[in-house]
Amino acid sequence: MSTAQSLHRSRKRKNAVMMALCIIAAGIGLAWLALILGALLYKGLSGVNLAVFTEMTPPPGDAGGLLNAIYGSIIMTIIGIVVGTPIGVLAGTYMAEYGRFSRLTTVVRFINDILLSAPSIIVGLFVYELMVRPMGHFSAIAGAVALSILVIPVVVRTTEDMLNLVPNALREAGTAIGAPRWVVIRSVAYRAALSGIVTGILLAIARISGETAPLLFTALNNQFWSSNLNAPMASLPATIFQFALSPYEEWQQLAWTGALIITLTVLGLSIFARSLTGRREDR
Amino acid sequence: MKPMLSTDLNAPDATVEKAKIEVKNLNFYYGQSKALKDINLSLPERSVTAFIGPSGCGKSTLLRVLNRIYELYPKQSAEGQVLLDGKNILDRSQDLNLLRTKIGMVFQKPTPFPMSIYENIAFGVRLYEKISKAEMDNRVESALKRAALWSEVKDKLNASGQSLSGGQQQRLCIARTVAVKPEVILLDEPASALDPLSTAKIEELIDELQADYTIVIVTHNMQQAARVSRQTAFMYLGELVEFDRTEKIFTSPREKRTQDYITGRFG
Repeated sequence: MSTAQSLHRSRKRKNAVMMALCIIAAGIGLAWLALILGALLYKGLSGVNLAVFTEMTPPPGDAGGLLNAIYGSIIMTIIGIVVGTPIGVLAGTYMAEYGRFSRLTTVVRFINDILLSAPSIIVGLFVYELMVRPMGHFSAIAGAVALSILVIPVVVRTTEDMLNLVPNALREAGTAIGAPRWVVIRSVAYRAALSGIVTGILLAIARISGETAPLLFTALNNQFWSSNLNAPMASLPATIFQFALSPYEEWQQLAWTGALIITLTVLGLSIFARSLTGRREDR
Repeated sequence: MKPMLSTDLNAPDATVEKAKIEVKNLNFYYGQSKALKDINLSLPERSVTAFIGPSGCGKSTLLRVLNRIYELYPKQSAEGQVLLDGKNILDRSQDLNLLRTKIGMVFQKPTPFPMSIYENIAFGVRLYEKISKAEMDNRVESALKRAALWSEVKDKLNASGQSLSGGQQQRLCIARTVAVKPEVILLDEPASALDPLSTAKIEELIDELQADYTIVIVTHNMQQAARVSRQTAFMYLGELVEFDRTEKIFTSPREKRTQDYITGRFG
């Protein structure tokens, strides 16, 4: 057997071993995901009925729904996004367009990355000190602020990344035709990066709609219907936390159902975000 | 004998015609390194001038000084004078956006904006003019005709500019530049990313455009320079080696370095 042949064989053997290891690793990762989704569907789906979406969270031992928690989650998520997105997009725009070569951008990017991976409970504590303590009580608005703080780094990062992907040639072309810088950013760069920036916002929604820790310190929870932003407000994650730990069967069932609702929402948003970026790459 | 007269008669066309742009003692720096060394040349009005030379010789850099687009990037600086109709555009008081409406630029890679074909052209016009829809329609049509693209796109003006072929995209970029009525058009290797057929169309277009515009083209392709330009500047290592009528450069250059380059001995 020649050297070339034996080399070829040993390479093939190594390839087979490594390939098998990769497949096993991927399989382990996927298995957990499948188990979690399976358990959620199995335990959660049986509790899905109209009452879940029309009735309030019940007292122990009673039947009821999750309406106030769903409402609270939607309201606080919307406010969090509405507050956090402009700040994030503007900061990302500064970093990618105006301050691309400045030191400030490097520093902000570094801090932003820390914020991006900071435990959300710290954000909750921060807002607790900042708002809840001075105000003297828990409130929905404090919860929304905590969520918006979680939104900002995600949006900053994706906005900057997406704008950086816009070729400089396009900016030069806009400039060469006599457009001022802000017009180039608004009409050329934003347009070219739009689907990516929207994807970042969707991912931010997905992230905050499942956050529990920052809400426990800020919006707390509420057993009843409340649309008062200055008072504690229920949310799906906090309700799940409370109900899942309770000894009451009805509550546990509602916790499973709520978890299923959040998971499907996040899954839907992620798929939608994927389809947006996917279309961009096809072009 | 009157030496003044005889000098004038022997001078290349370039100095007889009215100069649109005059570059005087221009130096250019990327940070500390000097990319252009004491450039002096004068570009005649309504005529095509080509910049040729090996990669890194500074020809694109020189082009990018003419509309000051280099100022998008930090640490790039020019000193000296660039006179457009006698006015120094390197002056700090020069409004850059206005300068760029007078001096248009087309790039190596086609750069259609992420909008429709119609909007690609209307975008630039709208920046400085308020005109009615009907006028704008006319403007778009005449620009597209000027760029020999109208017949190919007239039925799909609302299609994305990025859906066109490379050659069509480049003509769209030329149409977009022409639509804002510049006086000078800078072309930075406009055909280097295109196939021979599209290249021929672009060259034809350049030939037609010189009736109305002062055109400066940077090209790697010496045959292209010979085909489209009236004057050619040969640059090497940041210096302007020789500037003369194109046929003179290509048949009997004064400098040995020019001779070596155009005969393919280096570069």
